[in-house]
Amino acid sequence: MHEVSIAQGILDIITANAREHGFRRVNSVSLRIGRASGVVVEALRFAFEIVRKDTIADNADLLIEEVPLGGVCLDCKNNFTTERDYILECPLCGSVSFKITQGRELEIIELDVEEEYEGKGCNKNPGGK
Amino acid sequence: MKVKVVTRILEANERIATENRRLFKEKGLFVVNLMSGPGAGKTSLLVRTIELLKPHLRVGVIEGDITGTEDAERIQSTGVPVVQINTGGACHLDANMIQEVLPELPLGELDLLFIENVGNLVCPAEFNVGEDMKVMLLSVTEGEDKPLKYPLMFQQSKALVINKIDLLPHLDIDMESLKERARALNRDMEIFEVSCKTSEGLESWTTYLTGLINSTH
Ligand SMILES: Nc1nc2c(ncn2[C@@H]2O[C@H](COP(=O)(O)OP(=O)(O)O)[C@@H](O)[C@H]2O)c(=O)[nH]1
Ligand SMILES: [Mg+2]
Ligand SMILES: [Zn+2]
Repeated sequence: MHEVSIAQGILDIITANAREHGFRRVNSVSLRIGRASGVVVEALRFAFEIVRKDTIADNADLLIEEVPLGGVCLDCKNNFTTERDYILECPLCGSVSFKITQGRELEIIELDVEEEYEGKGCNKNPGGK
Repeated sequence: MKVKVVTRILEANERIATENRRLFKEKGLFVVNLMSGPGAGKTSLLVRTIELLKPHLRVGVIEGDITGTEDAERIQSTGVPVVQINTGGACHLDANMIQEVLPELPLGELDLLFIENVGNLVCPAEFNVGEDMKVMLLSVTEGEDKPLKYPLMFQQSKALVINKIDLLPHLDIDMESLKERARALNRDMEIFEVSCKTSEGLESWTTYLTGLINSTH
């Protein structure tokens, strides 16, 4: 499936952020993935292991939060979520008029990275008073 | 250290799709991304649609397939400009693949561009390519439970074309239930029932397309 291009997309975003923030190592990547996003989480993990080789994300873990599918009923205003990956009707009143409100996410939320040391921490001038 | 990112992962694709969309707009081109499972009849529908629209509109086609040029040849026989994209294994077209072949088409001389996506019911719906609308094609031989299995496809498509209705007498598909399920996922979806074999229903489909194009021009 298309998990390889998504893994590549994740890597591209990491690289762009590394350029902007100047870090050289990524420990972990937090993602939000909706159940109805069409992404198979296991396939994505596998694909990411392949594309991350020899990059700054070489050892980065994927921390994945899966978001259940949810909607709001346009008739009875009920907010609901489901464990399935589709919604056919409002579980409360049976109406087929609803809007999907969550479950399609495919986002990077944050990166946990190694800070670059710029003198501080690495004590180049010990005891230099 | 944590770095807040909060970026949609398909962002790179979205950016190129936006560039494509801008170019299409500039050229006054209406673009339809046609998606379906394998063998539902995308190429057949395009050939039939082109035959009906050709007297009124200038049509072009981008053919997406994993390998081969057979579909592009079928389109070529209708006399409209066509380019073939072979994805070499990728199960969908993305905005970048489209952008790369656009110079090969006389965009300024076209009113309508069809993009035949790779036969796959999952991935193509995830990748915008800069189209004005996605259209989903389903064959009656695929049964009425497709909306349950591929909800995103139905939610993303503005219209659903149900093809091969000439075969209905031989099948026990519940058309009402199929349409009900499709509308449950996308209540604004326009649904057309057609046969590319007998031409039944094709005219209301092409009338709908012409109406959309005229209203955006
Ligand atoms: N009976 C019947 N067969 C059709 C119809 N439309 C297409 N086909 C057949 O379905 C097969 C696949 O069609 P094609 O257009 O190549 O599908 P694609 O893979 O989605 O582009 C071909 O053998 C067509 O002749 C139809 O309306 N009725
Ligand atoms: Mg085809
Ligand atoms: Zn309700």
